[in-house]
Amino acid sequence: MVHLTINDREVSGQDGWTILEVAREHGIDIPTLCQHGAVEPSGACRLCMVEVDDGRRRRMVASCLYPIRAGLKVWTESDRIQNVRRWILQMLVDEHPGSERLQVLAQTYGVKASRFKSSRYEDVCILCGLCVRACEEVAGVGCLSFGNRGVHKEVTTSYHLPSPECIGCGTCLYVCPTGAMEQFFNRVRAVA
Amino acid sequence: MQDDVKLGIFLCECGEKISGRMNLGEVGAQLSREPGVGHVSIHPYLCMAPGLAALTRLARDHGLNRVLIGACSDRIMKKKFARELKPLGIMAPQVDLVNLKDHLAAVHEDDSPELTRKALALLEGARASLETLEPYAPVLADFQGPALILGGGISGFAAARELAHHGMESLIFPGARDPGEVLTGLQRTYPGNRLNFRDLEAMLQEVFANPRVKMAPDQPVEYVMGQVGDYHVGLQQSPGGVSELRGSAIILALDREFASEEGWAMGGADRVIDQLDLEERLARKRVTPGSVVFWVNHREEGRRAQELAAAAAWRTSQVLVQNYPQVRPTVLYPADIRLPLTGPDLVEARRRGIGLYPYNPDIHPVVKSGYLNYVNPHDHLEHEVGWDTLVVSAIPGEPLAKARELMRCLPLFSHNGGSLKKGPMALKPDQKPVESLILTGSALKLCDLDEALLQGKNAAREVLHLRDKARKGGLASPLVVVTVDQSLCEGCGLCNEICTCGGVESVAAGNGAVPRHVSPHTCDGGGSCAAACPYEAMKLLNNSSQQLEARIRAILPRMPQDAVLGLVCSWGGQGAAEQAAVKGLAYSSRVYLIPVNCLGSIDPTVLSMAFLNGANGILLAGCTPTASCHYGYGVDHTWHRVYLMKKLLAMSGLSRKRIALGYVEVNQPEAFIRMADSFLDHLDQVGPVDRSEDTKKRLLAAHATMHRPRVRWVLGVSLRRPSEKEFPGDQCNAVDFDESMQDVLREEYLAARIIGALTDGPLNPPAIARALGERSDEVAPVLNELLRDNRIIRRRWEEGYPLYGLTKSV
Repeated sequence: MVHLTINDREVSGQDGWTILEVAREHGIDIPTLCQHGAVEPSGACRLCMVEVDDGRRRRMVASCLYPIRAGLKVWTESDRIQNVRRWILQMLVDEHPGSERLQVLAQTYGVKASRFKSSRYEDVCILCGLCVRACEEVAGVGCLSFGNRGVHKEVTTSYHLPSPECIGCGTCLYVCPTGAMEQFFNRVRAVA
Repeated sequence: MQDDVKLGIFLCECGEKISGRMNLGEVGAQLSREPGVGHVSIHPYLCMAPGLAALTRLARDHGLNRVLIGACSDRIMKKKFARELKPLGIMAPQVDLVNLKDHLAAVHEDDSPELTRKALALLEGARASLETLEPYAPVLADFQGPALILGGGISGFAAARELAHHGMESLIFPGARDPGEVLTGLQRTYPGNRLNFRDLEAMLQEVFANPRVKMAPDQPVEYVMGQVGDYHVGLQQSPGGVSELRGSAIILALDREFASEEGWAMGGADRVIDQLDLEERLARKRVTPGSVVFWVNHREEGRRAQELAAAAAWRTSQVLVQNYPQVRPTVLYPADIRLPLTGPDLVEARRRGIGLYPYNPDIHPVVKSGYLNYVNPHDHLEHEVGWDTLVVSAIPGEPLAKARELMRCLPLFSHNGGSLKKGPMALKPDQKPVESLILTGSALKLCDLDEALLQGKNAAREVLHLRDKARKGGLASPLVVVTVDQSLCEGCGLCNEICTCGGVESVAAGNGAVPRHVSPHTCDGGGSCAAACPYEAMKLLNNSSQQLEARIRAILPRMPQDAVLGLVCSWGGQGAAEQAAVKGLAYSSRVYLIPVNCLGSIDPTVLSMAFLNGANGILLAGCTPTASCHYGYGVDHTWHRVYLMKKLLAMSGLSRKRIALGYVEVNQPEAFIRMADSFLDHLDQVGPVDRSEDTKKRLLAAHATMHRPRVRWVLGVSLRRPSEKEFPGDQCNAVDFDESMQDVLREEYLAARIIGALTDGPLNPPAIARALGERSDEVAPVLNELLRDNRIIRRRWEEGYPLYGLTKSV
């Protein structure tokens, strides 16, 4: 058993568990977007950032990936964390103003539309890759992948064509945190 | 088996998402009072590491062999839970999930007590289903013997070579005796590939000389039986006998033949020819000098055919310029196809003086003697090109006769203008049966020679992959497969006809009433065959009708009067319902969802049983037929069963509206909600079933009618068959057929009611007619039928009337 504190509360967990897992087991909520119980964590969205003190210095880590250690001190609601979280949501919601689900999430953390303007209103995909991982790990199909790089990065299928491998199970639809897959689904599936 | 069941129930709070909406403690407390429940606990997040650790620890400590999880979607999460529990010897079918989040908490606006009650009902249903489960462990396959390469296609040689390279024997049935003969035949199946003949000949010689490749004469195939790793193929021998060959896997190499246009209307005698004629001339080395224009025409055959024709024209042009310096070839191709040439090809074309001209396909080129006029898409101007020989494209034809012969004994279907395909299956890889019937060649999809050879090579690799898997002991059958009770099977073959996966086959070779069995490795577990079996001899292992019945029986008494039983297919209906939760939509809590793998697996007796046991309305939601049914025709078959239930409802004096089938796609949650709302409206109009003594008797008779082999037979033959032409729209004799069905149903329903009336004691015909409220002259012939079938006996004569009673066995 590994003992640590989260928000100054004594908690414990097994070696190998992550901060997010231990926090949730003890009823401490940390917001996430790219995390889903069905797939391995990847730390893409950074919304689960928490502040840790491992005895050497205080820093920010992604709680979905950071394994717990004895004596670790974790804060999930410190000013620094709240600021980071607001900024992440601000960026996401400004870049993808079309996503209702992101808007709702942003509102719960008091984030409003800002001076940043997005040219891509329709595009609500935050490129968290949850659909790509779920297609591979849950469905076992692997017809979704990332295409292109940098600002052109996108979730796509081989050759950008409807995938003959896709079985239309809808796993990607179910896990997508922003609803982007709803727009994309019929372009993935070979049968309309 | 039943005594050993040790069930553990794990409820997930999912943060506040579930526990915030219902009283999980109350649900857990109620469930823990049930007999056979060894453990109940509630966890904050079951899917995360701490939850999983607790799940496996508790399952081990309590020696559980059934695990029921009340959490979220089984479509998404079951795999993970099953993987965690596998080391404890708990197989996936022994784990069940009830989706408390997406079927209740997230979609209903009701208060906590109502949701708690509904959650309990659904969990009780799943509990009953798990307790009824008789676990079936997958079967491991052996993989011995050579691969059988049937069909005689060119891709078979590539497969044989690849297999031989990896030390596996193969048996091939070429129509030809030597490589030269193979190549002669090839110009009709893959025209325009003469350029590759030299390489191909070397390959063929290698195959013909290889000791690992056995050659056998090409005899008509009489039957194909057996399963993965052990196939038996019966070949007709000339004096009428059949010889049997055995092999571990089957590769079907099937080509299609190209056709010349019959009654060629362009004229020009031997100066206007098609690609096939040109092949013939090249083979005989009789090529006329001068300008040869390849005109890629036949737009109606599709873009792919035109691309292949353009490639054939290009390759043949190269052969021409290499061998006949006095010939000047030109290829005229439609501008909207993708010319299958690379940069170096274009350089080669310029160097050799081969003209490559695109034409505007919207303006049809015009043929004149010695000239072909076409419109250049770039300058919009009419151009003409002079020809001495005009070559038009060959027309892709039907698959060869060999393919049609194999279609009789293998699950091959023809679709979209003659292309062959295997039974349609779009399942998750871990649900899929082992694919040991591997198809290659242009009979599937038009392709050129290189692609066909590559397909053959890949087919061989698939076989080798199976062999390696078997060597490691990992060639296991899927978890949910159909089995046949040989003592009940009458060998009618209905299952064979509606099977799309090829799992059902005869026990022995021959025609007539041969009992069937199901190869566990080939079966896709769709289960429509089991639901169709007239003698109820088939059972879906690990997902049986009995389980579904138990589940429905457990839920029905816990449902309110105005609620609906929602049978949803796990791909379409369930997917859409869960997507409604994801999208934050809401619908009425009067819909009680029961997921089934495919609606086609629902035996019609389950429907009548539900009405008999208190259901007031049943809504079935499946995938869209043909477009997305994952088991081919499951949802179509369901339609006929639902329709039969409607007839029986009407006969029982109930509204036909009490049952309905809907189609919905996983990405149409709004459609699902509209469907549910509409059905609830229907149900509100008719109200709950008046459960009077008479209605109960009538529903019992309806249920008994569903069990009658004769009714199931007539229902079975009405199912749309994949072997027939696909959904012709105008069904043959649809009305007549339905009326015959109605007559059969009326008779059998009356017979069932008579038997119902006789259970209390013997009666004479007038008394029976009075008890049923039917006319004596309608009852009399049915009584005679029953007497003849020995279902009732004549006890004695009394007051001038015979007194009928039940035979003991009934």
